[in-house]
Amino acid sequence: MVPPVQVSPLIKTARWSALIVGIIYGKFRYDNLKPIAEEERRIEEEEKKVREEKERIAKQLAEAIVEINLEVSCPK
Amino acid sequence: MAQAVQKLVAKVPTLVGAAVNYSKPRLATFWYYARVELVPPTPAEIPKAISGFQDLLKGFQSGRLGQTTVRDALRNGLVATEVLMWFYIGEIIGKRGLIGYDV
Repeated sequence: MVPPVQVSPLIKTARWSALIVGIIYGKFRYDNLKPIAEEERRIEEEEKKVREEKERIAKQLAEAIVEINLEVSCPK
Repeated sequence: MAQAVQKLVAKVPTLVGAAVNYSKPRLATFWYYARVELVPPTPAEIPKAISGFQDLLKGFQSGRLGQTTVRDALRNGLVATEVLMWFYIGEIIGKRGLIGYDV
C-alpha cells in the first residue's frame, strides 16, 4: 500500500479550524433563524384565521342570496 | 407473509456478519491512512502552520506566486477547495441537519 502522506501543518490547522468555525457558524445561524421562523408561522396562523372567517361570511352571504333568488323566481 | 418475515429475521445475523466481514479490511485501510493524514494538528505544529501562512503571504507580496505553474496552481486550488468543504461539513454538524435549517 502507498504510505500515508505527511500533510503539512498549515493544511491541517486550516482544515480543523474551518471545521470548528463551520460548527460555530451553523449553530449561531440556527439559533438566529429559529425565532424568525416561529414568528412567521404565528403570523401565518393569524392571517389564515382571518381569511377563513372572511370566506365563511362570504359563503353564508352567497347561500342567502341564492335562497332569496329562488324564493323570488318561484314563490310557493 | 408471516413466514417471509420470519425467514428475513433469521437471515439478519448472517447479513450483519457478512457486512462486518466486508467492511473490516476497508475500515482498516481507512484507519491506516486517517491516523496520519486526518488527525488534528498537535500544539507543536501550530507555530509551524503560522510560519507557513506567513511564508505564503510573503510569497504573495514578493510576486513569487505569479511564477507557479498551472499544474501547481490547479493542485493548490483543489487542496484549498477541500479545506473550504470542511467548513460546510462543520456547518452541517452545527445546524444538526443535512439539508437546510430545521426551524
